[in-house]
Amino acid sequence: MATIQIQGVRVAGIAAAVPEGTRGVADEAAIFGVDEMEKTAKVIGVRSRHIAPPQLCTSDLCHAAAVRLLDDLGWARDSVDGLIFVSQSPDYELPATACTLQARLGLPDRCAAFDVNLGCSGFVYGLWLGSQIVGGGGIRRLLLLAGDVSTRRLAPHDKSVKPLFGDAGTATAIEFSPGAAPMAFELGTDGAGFASIIIPASGFRQPRTDETKALFAGADGIERSAENIYINGAEVFNFTIKRIPPLVETLMASAGKTREQYDHFVFHQANAFMLQHLAKRLKIPTEKFVLAMETVGNTSSASIPLAITMALRESLAEQPREMLLAGFGVGLSWAAASLTLDRPVVPALVIVPDDTPAMAAG
Amino acid sequence: MTPTEFYAALDEMLELDPGTITGNERLEDVEAWDSLAVISFIALVDEKFDILVETEKLAAAESVGDLYALATRQKAA
Repeated sequence: MATIQIQGVRVAGIAAAVPEGTRGVADEAAIFGVDEMEKTAKVIGVRSRHIAPPQLCTSDLCHAAAVRLLDDLGWARDSVDGLIFVSQSPDYELPATACTLQARLGLPDRCAAFDVNLGCSGFVYGLWLGSQIVGGGGIRRLLLLAGDVSTRRLAPHDKSVKPLFGDAGTATAIEFSPGAAPMAFELGTDGAGFASIIIPASGFRQPRTDETKALFAGADGIERSAENIYINGAEVFNFTIKRIPPLVETLMASAGKTREQYDHFVFHQANAFMLQHLAKRLKIPTEKFVLAMETVGNTSSASIPLAITMALRESLAEQPREMLLAGFGVGLSWAAASLTLDRPVVPALVIVPDDTPAMAAG
Repeated sequence: MTPTEFYAALDEMLELDPGTITGNERLEDVEAWDSLAVISFIALVDEKFDILVETEKLAAAESVGDLYALATRQKAA
């Protein structure tokens, strides 16, 4: 695993946005039955999720979060010289969505902007990348925008994913700050497991055709098309058990901290069952372990900043907090960060109205 | 963990009455053995046996006896 220490960088603020509309257990019960959906909700810890209407993209949710964050921080648009967009639901194959967001947010033309294609691990990867860039000098303020509209790619009758996923976009402000406490990161990849979480016909390897739109039953008996998200739950769970406890232990060792010294552990909100198993394995006290997905579900790379927005606003406003963040999943990819959040600006959750007009498609 | 203790743990995991699983069941006849149960089983074996169940072997398991063999890394009879 790659071990990295970064000096002189702080997280100035974190904001999250969700679309207004929701779907809950009752809606899914109409398709899959009440008993099965109540049982599922209990296991995965999700009772409802926000679902983006067709005209809203990840970029729109991230844009809403970024506008609120910049306003609350009082950052002049002209002072932002870096933008990273982490997502697997971009506006286009090309151009990079980060470029469109630079213009929409009114950021200066000296602003470096690019996309990163990662999901569950994406926020922590983006935090590492953004912090490394700011710590390297030349770029003093950077926006990390992370999110997905995963619900757009769920098969209509896939009970393994439909009750779980929600849509969200987030914005995190990273700035140069010479006296800031050091951050530590651990990163890793096991691409041999790439097919465990995949949309098969989603790029150039398997082009979309009429055939890839057709639903067919997989080995698990669930009907999907090649354009839908497929998740091998058992393999992903095994991957998590194998990789995440050592990831967190190694990070704590390299940061020189014990679990007692952390105030909050915020992991990718994959599902409650998996998270509770990891917390037990890692002996993390329940009160320090953030579980904030009951009303939002699994929101891919948005899940960590969204959980912080929903569960930790008051705590973070009080005093500096020692944080351990961990993201893991699609890739397969994993990353963890140890950092101090020193009273960052955390606006209340932004709700994006369902009647928000669509952006011009170019 | 003895086989009897293992069957009791399965009963608890599957929310069945104690004594329901006796070790001779075929998984296709156990109604509660679904995709969520598969995940719960992986967690159970990790917690109680400190063993990572191989998902391919778990997918091929046909009986409660096969599950016990996987959990204890014994060859199925």
